[in-house]
Amino acid sequence: MNNTNLENYAKEIASKFSSKIAKTWQNNDELHLNVELDAMPKICDYVYKNLNARLATIICSDERKNIGGFAIRYVFEKDNVFIFIIVSTGQGFAFPSIISHIPAAALYEREIKDMFGLVPTGNPDMRPLVLHEHWPDEVFPLRKEFELETKAKRQEKEYQFLRVQGEGICEIPVGPVHAGIIEPGHFRFSILGENIVNLETRLFYTHKGIEKLAESMRLDEALLLSERIAGDESVANSSAFCQAIEKIAQIEIPKRAKKIRTVFAELERIYNHVGTLAGISTDASFPFGAARLNILKEKLMQLNEYLSGSRILFGVNRIGGVRCDITDENKKLILETLSQVSDDFDKVTILLKSKSSFMDRLRGTGAIQKKIAHDLGTVGIVARCVGIDVDARRDHPYGSYYLHNHKTPQELVQHQIEMEKRTGDALARFEIRVHEVQDSLDIIRESLDLEDDSLFTSVPENLEPFRSALGWAESHRGQTLHWVMIGENNSIFRYKVRTASFCNWPVIEQAVLNDIVPDFPLVNKSLDLSYSGNDL
Amino acid sequence: MYDIATIVVGIIQVLAMLALAPLLTGIIRKTKARTQKRIGASILQPYYDLLKLVRKDEVISDQTSWIFRACPWVNFAAMATAAFFIPVFLVYTPFGLVGDLLLVVGLFALGRFFTMLAGLDVASSFGGLGSSREMMISALLEPALFLSIFVVAITYGGTNLSTMIEASSNSSFLPHPQIIFAAIGLFIIILGETGRLPFDNPATHLELTMVHETMILEYSGKSLAMMEWSQSIKQIILFTLMVNIFVPWGISSSILFSSLAVGFFMFAGKISLFGIFVAFLESSVAKWRLFRIPDLIAIAIATSMIGIVLCYL
Repeated sequence: MNNTNLENYAKEIASKFSSKIAKTWQNNDELHLNVELDAMPKICDYVYKNLNARLATIICSDERKNIGGFAIRYVFEKDNVFIFIIVSTGQGFAFPSIISHIPAAALYEREIKDMFGLVPTGNPDMRPLVLHEHWPDEVFPLRKEFELETKAKRQEKEYQFLRVQGEGICEIPVGPVHAGIIEPGHFRFSILGENIVNLETRLFYTHKGIEKLAESMRLDEALLLSERIAGDESVANSSAFCQAIEKIAQIEIPKRAKKIRTVFAELERIYNHVGTLAGISTDASFPFGAARLNILKEKLMQLNEYLSGSRILFGVNRIGGVRCDITDENKKLILETLSQVSDDFDKVTILLKSKSSFMDRLRGTGAIQKKIAHDLGTVGIVARCVGIDVDARRDHPYGSYYLHNHKTPQELVQHQIEMEKRTGDALARFEIRVHEVQDSLDIIRESLDLEDDSLFTSVPENLEPFRSALGWAESHRGQTLHWVMIGENNSIFRYKVRTASFCNWPVIEQAVLNDIVPDFPLVNKSLDLSYSGNDL
Repeated sequence: MYDIATIVVGIIQVLAMLALAPLLTGIIRKTKARTQKRIGASILQPYYDLLKLVRKDEVISDQTSWIFRACPWVNFAAMATAAFFIPVFLVYTPFGLVGDLLLVVGLFALGRFFTMLAGLDVASSFGGLGSSREMMISALLEPALFLSIFVVAITYGGTNLSTMIEASSNSSFLPHPQIIFAAIGLFIIILGETGRLPFDNPATHLELTMVHETMILEYSGKSLAMMEWSQSIKQIILFTLMVNIFVPWGISSSILFSSLAVGFFMFAGKISLFGIFVAFLESSVAKWRLFRIPDLIAIAIATSMIGIVLCYL
């Protein structure tokens, strides 16, 4: 259905760089281009600036046995096509950095440097990112020669924070251990009085080695692993993983399964959005609103438990379909619970919007500029709050989502005006969340009209080695990408996960610059970033 | 001179304040929990907390000086002394000749001064932040407090608390409309002084947003117990002032047992109701932005000014 777009892009890139491109081929809705290492920055720059594509992720994999070098895939996203620009490092252990063209690449390049030991030539920031300074310099976990059981020796080194100097500048270190039940992350504030002059985040304290672990697992085990990347995004992550495998296996899952996936994905979105709204209310010190919203979240989580046996929706998906059925009885329960929740939710949001002290806290707080959000490659609500209209459910339809993509021209114009009006502050993010909860409720109601076919289709016993595919889903935080390459004997050769949080974390350093210290928790909560989903 | 019985009643008043202070905190917390549809801890929980803290070991940073160790004692002594000058259920206090309302305010300032120093003394970045915020707020709160006190003092003839409350219990506020303005001003100030919403959130765990809590962040064990108890005493003193100056109904004018008992129960009832009212108010606002707080204090100053103008009309 998207071949025209894909072919057009292939032609356009080929017309400019035909001599540099070794091979062009298509893999479902992915356009793959094998290019020379030296020409890669220029091609990436062209795709980014002239085609106006977004850098979705950079995937590195150790394919020295197959192609004699590390393969690096620069994945761009344009309309409904993913463009893979693939290079091989050959014998060397370096690759040209593209951050002077595409700022969003900075973190990916540092990640590749840590995990594979490939040096991004030209990237000014060579500090460790994922593996902290205690990890030995010459050990690279995602190289194939690294054994899973290796115990790395601890080395002593110190991380260099950016120092702001001048009269009256103070530094406040916050974390990684926080008050309250929060995941670990270190924030280094440089302040002048109450004003934040600079903020540097240091994350990856919950690095679990998910990508390396997956390489030792069977597919069905890796599915369970994908659910556990971040507990509150379990459906989104497992759907993305399943879709990648289903694409490799070339199977279409039954319509009933698609709709059930959609229902659970939206249930996940609702309970998380309600929870985040409660968190925003807590952090604005309005505990009454928070308490009311937390009651709703609890109701939704109890519904989750009743339907799937898990409050955070573990065990919903399986490769080729779903594990949990939604019976007619359950349908009734879902509709009843949702109508209650919907009524209460409307009441609470009206109450919150009528509290001038609450709205005043949100207005203008943590404002992001559109250009910064664009350059950093943000996704999800963080992108939508400045009017960058990205939503994987609409841009790259999956599951049963294409059903909900009918827009009249009038609606479309209204939508665009709405996008232009967005201001990028905590209030915009608050309002979008409220809106999305209501949308999700509608999507669930529509999706509950289930077909009468089976819950799953069978998956071929043996998948063809070294086939790869990209799976995606829109979690409540934004676009989630899972790229899987199958190895020999149905093993996983490389599993690359890029959650929305990885794209969105850098934005917080920019969002707080016009704010004062006591508003930081509010900014942080309104961005709703996951530590576990980022640290992998 | 007062006879022994009066002095005994006076001392009982002080002890009642010290003993009931954590209970008031408990009532406010319980009410807030109920408004949030939570069951909430027992209203006696603050006592259990104090008991727990007293039994615990203390950790004191080696970066601190004597100020950090002295601060809880200074605070507790200041608040306990202040309690001597407050008529609670008897319309006067036998110790009233020694100190007036200005001394009470001064004692509060002494406690706060040491708390701010202790915040700086621990050399943690949060302590400094808390002290600077407290300094900003208190620099504005104190003039507002004095202005509203002056309105009452001008109306009731002096800053001595016994005189004030005696005068207020003997006369209606109807001929003195300025009293209403003073009450509004003083009420806003009390919210600020006791660190309640919308000034400060006493229930938060977010060290970046706190004011009072950041300064006492490094305290543990007995010192923390003393700091928290002092804070509760300060709260009950301010609440008592509020109810006794503006609604002195039922306060006992003699040391007869029956009228003292009536006075005590009226006091307990009024102060609980006032605490519940404050809790409801806290439930209905979010915390204001830090730099908006001066606006709120400006309202208190403005109403007190109107009160002063009305005094001379």
